[in-house]
Amino acid sequence: MDENPTKTNQSAHLALDIGGTLIKMVYLSSDDNCSPDSQVKVSQEESNEISDGLMKCHTGKGTLHFLKFETSKIDDCLEFISSNQLCSHGDLPDKKQPSAHDRKLIKATGGGAFKFADLFMERLGITLDKVDEMDCLVAGANSLLKANNQEAFTYMNGHKEYLQIDHNDMYPYLLVNIGSGVSMIKVEGDEKFERVSGTSVGGGTFWGLGKLLTNCKSFDELLKLSHVGNNRVIDMLVGDIYGGLDYSKIGLSSTTIASSFGKAISENKELEDYKPEDMARSLLRMISNNIGQISYLNALRFGLKRIFFGGFFIRGHEFTMDTISVAVDFWSKGEAKAMFLRHEGFLGALGAYTSYQKEGSGESMSHQLVEQLSNGVQCTGENQRLLPAEIKSQGK
Amino acid sequence: MAAAPTDRQPLLVNSDVISNDDNNNCNSASISTSSDITSSLSGGGDKEMAPVPGSSIHRSGSRPQLDLSGAAIQGNFEEKDPTILLPNQSDDISHLALDIGGSLIKLVYFSRHEDRLINNRRTKSVKEKFGLPTGIRRSYPILGGRLHFVKFETHKINECLDFINSKQLHRGGMDSLGWQSEVESNENAVIKATGGGAYRFADLFKEKLGVTIDKEDEMNCLVAGANFLLKAIRHEAFTHMEGHKEFVQIDQNDLFPYLLVNIGSGVSIIKVDGDGKFQRVSGTNVGGGTYWGLGRLLTKCKSFDELLELSQRGDNSNIDMLVGDIYGGLDYSKIGLSASTIASSFGKTISENKELGDYRPEDISLSLLRMISYNIGQIAYLNALRFGLKRIFFGGFFIRGHAYTMDTISFAVQFWSKGEAKAMFLRHEGFLGALGAFMSYEKHGLDDLMVHQLVERFPMGAPYTGGKIHGPPLGDLNEKISWMEKFVQKGTEITAPVPMAPPGTTGLGGFEVPSSKGDSLRSDASNLNVGVLHLVPTLEVFPLLADPKTYEPNTIDLLDRGELDYWFTVLSAHLPDLVDKAVASEGGTEDAKRRGDAFARAFSAHLARLMEEPAAYGKLGLANLLELREECLREFYFVDAYRSIKQRENEASLAVLPDLLLELDGMDEERRLLMLIEGVLAANIFDWGSRACVDLYHKGTIIEIYRMSRDKMHRPWRVDDFDVFKERMLGSGDKKPHPHKRALLFVDNSGADIVLGMLPLAREFLRRGTEVVLVANSLPALNDVTAMELPEIVAEASKSCDILRRAAVAGGLLVDAMISSQDSSVDNSSSVPLMVVENGCGSPCIDLRQVSSELAAAAKDADLIILEGMGRSLHTNYNAKFKCEALKLAMVKNQRLAEKLIKGNIYDCVCRYEPAS
Repeated sequence: MDENPTKTNQSAHLALDIGGTLIKMVYLSSDDNCSPDSQVKVSQEESNEISDGLMKCHTGKGTLHFLKFETSKIDDCLEFISSNQLCSHGDLPDKKQPSAHDRKLIKATGGGAFKFADLFMERLGITLDKVDEMDCLVAGANSLLKANNQEAFTYMNGHKEYLQIDHNDMYPYLLVNIGSGVSMIKVEGDEKFERVSGTSVGGGTFWGLGKLLTNCKSFDELLKLSHVGNNRVIDMLVGDIYGGLDYSKIGLSSTTIASSFGKAISENKELEDYKPEDMARSLLRMISNNIGQISYLNALRFGLKRIFFGGFFIRGHEFTMDTISVAVDFWSKGEAKAMFLRHEGFLGALGAYTSYQKEGSGESMSHQLVEQLSNGVQCTGENQRLLPAEIKSQGK
Repeated sequence: MAAAPTDRQPLLVNSDVISNDDNNNCNSASISTSSDITSSLSGGGDKEMAPVPGSSIHRSGSRPQLDLSGAAIQGNFEEKDPTILLPNQSDDISHLALDIGGSLIKLVYFSRHEDRLINNRRTKSVKEKFGLPTGIRRSYPILGGRLHFVKFETHKINECLDFINSKQLHRGGMDSLGWQSEVESNENAVIKATGGGAYRFADLFKEKLGVTIDKEDEMNCLVAGANFLLKAIRHEAFTHMEGHKEFVQIDQNDLFPYLLVNIGSGVSIIKVDGDGKFQRVSGTNVGGGTYWGLGRLLTKCKSFDELLELSQRGDNSNIDMLVGDIYGGLDYSKIGLSASTIASSFGKTISENKELGDYRPEDISLSLLRMISYNIGQIAYLNALRFGLKRIFFGGFFIRGHAYTMDTISFAVQFWSKGEAKAMFLRHEGFLGALGAFMSYEKHGLDDLMVHQLVERFPMGAPYTGGKIHGPPLGDLNEKISWMEKFVQKGTEITAPVPMAPPGTTGLGGFEVPSSKGDSLRSDASNLNVGVLHLVPTLEVFPLLADPKTYEPNTIDLLDRGELDYWFTVLSAHLPDLVDKAVASEGGTEDAKRRGDAFARAFSAHLARLMEEPAAYGKLGLANLLELREECLREFYFVDAYRSIKQRENEASLAVLPDLLLELDGMDEERRLLMLIEGVLAANIFDWGSRACVDLYHKGTIIEIYRMSRDKMHRPWRVDDFDVFKERMLGSGDKKPHPHKRALLFVDNSGADIVLGMLPLAREFLRRGTEVVLVANSLPALNDVTAMELPEIVAEASKSCDILRRAAVAGGLLVDAMISSQDSSVDNSSSVPLMVVENGCGSPCIDLRQVSSELAAAAKDADLIILEGMGRSLHTNYNAKFKCEALKLAMVKNQRLAEKLIKGNIYDCVCRYEPAS
């Protein structure tokens, strides 16, 4: 890119990660700037759709905002950008034909950066400056891990433990980003990484199958349902096959799941005869366990002891993290550890945001971000919920 | 019909006018012979069709397909009810093992098949000669028998219990010595079983059958089963990529280590390092149960098969979020993801305002299938990688020979391994556990079983059932026939596989199951059939094969679509004629007609099945297909469809043999050798397997045809190594080569072929001091001469030839014949022997990996092999290399083969000589 650094810098307060299911947005607002807070209201309950989460990191210089929109409701996102004038430094967003000179650029990643490029141009006159998805994920994760000592944590049996990551001993690690699908990336350095694997059984599968099975209206509703479900009604356990006995010879206890949804086979029951919460639970375990297993197998391949899980599937959901952790622990016989990131969903968007720095504004940008992040997190502190406060946009 | 030629025109001289009938030098013998031919060809000659005495039917001792020999045994002590004790199903001594899984019960049982001891003069002398044990039964670690594979659905376990009970399978004991001992009460009967159900249903078995289930470890069984299959069945494993199956020959010595992935309700991933040496290294709970369970909830399908069937019409792009959906139709090529890669399974059912009912069940089923298959493939590969294993075998009932499932798994393995690792599948995929449980019986002796001792047969019901759940083969001929008829009554197209099992049966068996509602089990075209495994301890690898490992008998691979289409047409066209012959051979009775019809239907069904799925019966060469036809005939009790024709042709040829020999003896060595080889090639025209030749027979008599054929024998032949062979035989200049020590002559057809072609050639070798072993079929196939018929032919020929007579006596073929011989005081000891051995086959072709022990023994001192005829030297073995010299002689009676193999035309000849390699 040979953009004028000044120009690029002008847009540096907004970056997007447009995935298959969700659009993740990171932007910086100076404290005296027109804050989007004025236009949004907090809404914890009764959200029938995926909430647009927002997390703020207040710093001395401004606030770093984290938002998400459903990809299918991209209009909301466009509206939000437009109404908050996030893409301009005074220009009106309705300016039809931006000249090449004052072309507006936004860093964007994810498949949607390609898919919706024309839409952004048409509606907002914005050129999406596409940044590679994996580059962004890695950059985002690296920034977070470096920026904040309390970014990564383990979660086992309901117990959360923050980890001190030695910045000089971060690499190599396996980054597992669970979005609609799952990408597994071996990270060996700041810009040294390789996508080594992935699976199509991811967050989209949980939500998609879950929606078909339960008629839940939102991902979060489905997740909540799974809290109260009992998967043993649906899953075929080792004990079901062995008449209540363990198959101890190969280390399978009677409560091990032998076959997910395996009990739905033999009984003369229909879909309606099963409780949605049981199915949600079974589904969640199936997918989390599967991701944990494939992640571990890939970590093993490259001798990686640390596996960081990110992406919007997790959402700080305890049962999900627990299942993934147990899977990694089980298959690795305790050798490998599953770790989670507090800013899990925004790796790509953050990565896109940090990519501004490479183009001229230089080092300061990176440091600035790191500071912003660390300050921000410290500022919002421990009392913040793991899943940041959800603020629903008022946009259409 | 042409007038009977009564001339005594020299047979060897190329005559300008074949139909030159004005020769008056008739002799009475040739007149009568010729008229016999005429009358029989015109449809008469019924008197000659008197069946060969029963005893001779049952004489071969080397292959288990000799169903009839079983009949004879049983006849000895149960003569009153021959219809029940059909030899084909001598289930009297059986052993049973079960694998009771979450959804299916797999059953393997063994029915012992007692090879009858045939100690006629020929076998006895052959056995003595080659130092073979004269009794079969006690001399092999295992007894001959058959392994049957049967499946039931677990929730219909009562059907399974009824089946076991009806067959009294649970009463068979490994230690019971035989049918003589009445099987004791079943108080202490024990059945080996594995799978979770072995625990769950133990009480039920006790209560219903009074048997104790002896539980075998599941993993042990899986591994033992897989090891057995991979070692014992030549082409058990195959790869499956983009709809294309390729069978893989696994070197027994290079089998380990491998990864075994068993996909049942859940998935077990096992690293196998050797017999009994293995470790379950991983697994996943996303398996067959997940597919069926989730699929059932989402589609309301009533059975696994229905769900699978649905998937074949599905389009997963309506359900799955593809990379292209995210990237707006673009690839994410940087990381190697094409637009059609699934980014998120079921990812599209998220965002739209659609309910379950808005999606097509077909699409859901396919999406689910892809998700699970792909996931299993990926996890399996990652585990293979961990241990550096290149081969991954997938088994278990999830796969069910389903093409899409296999493709998806293969794709996953190939994709993730970048082509380094291979996914392979097993034909007996569902039976690993049950087989393993079976192996866990002590003294089954199967451990020592070698590949060459197993023959897989596909009974008549096979085409209808595919790889589906089914009962055992029908036990009774009448049942078989009525079963076939039932299909016709139901208006079922015989040319297409039957989608439904007949009402009240579980499919193949015709086994009545009152509780069954006749579930419609749809046929998945890509399913592979599992036949009955015949264990034949007497079979051996032909010891003269240069490299048994790379030896491939079939010149023509029927997995090649074009070939299959061609042979389908040829065999279909030939079928009516064959049925006529077969029915006539059984006296043309109503019963024979009924059997003939049933045979025609059954064989047509086999053909149709193969057209639908060329790999249905495994790796199929032309030899196997032709043998299948013979087996099918035998299944309907057509013992020897061509027997009267063979007899007539033999007689006609024997009548002119003396003149031929006289002519030959008047020639010098060099000319004689050429005449002999010419004679073999010319006489090889008599082949009822060739359409072109069958047409010829309707136009002329055997001798006419032979003459005409000789006329065409102008050298050079299309493949002509005669000069090299001649030099080997006669030397050049002063050098006189050593005569061969022993020559094995693999003979082909009856009549002129053997009598006027091969016998004179054999005589030439004998004259040169070379021992001659005539190698002939154990069982009839078309008009091929059998080992059983040869002694009689040799005896007859010996009447007019002293060389043959003395050799036959020396070879033990002839004792009685001396009575008719004018002079019994001739010195026998001076002659080298002429012997006859059976080859262990009942097919017009020969697979030299599986020959009779007596042929193997005879081969040990042989330094020359002569393969004669299309079946044995062209369709099979044309490319075979031997440790000794080999001569391949045949007339090509098939235009297509002529073009393909030798770039020639029909009636071209092959004389291929190869020194020892």
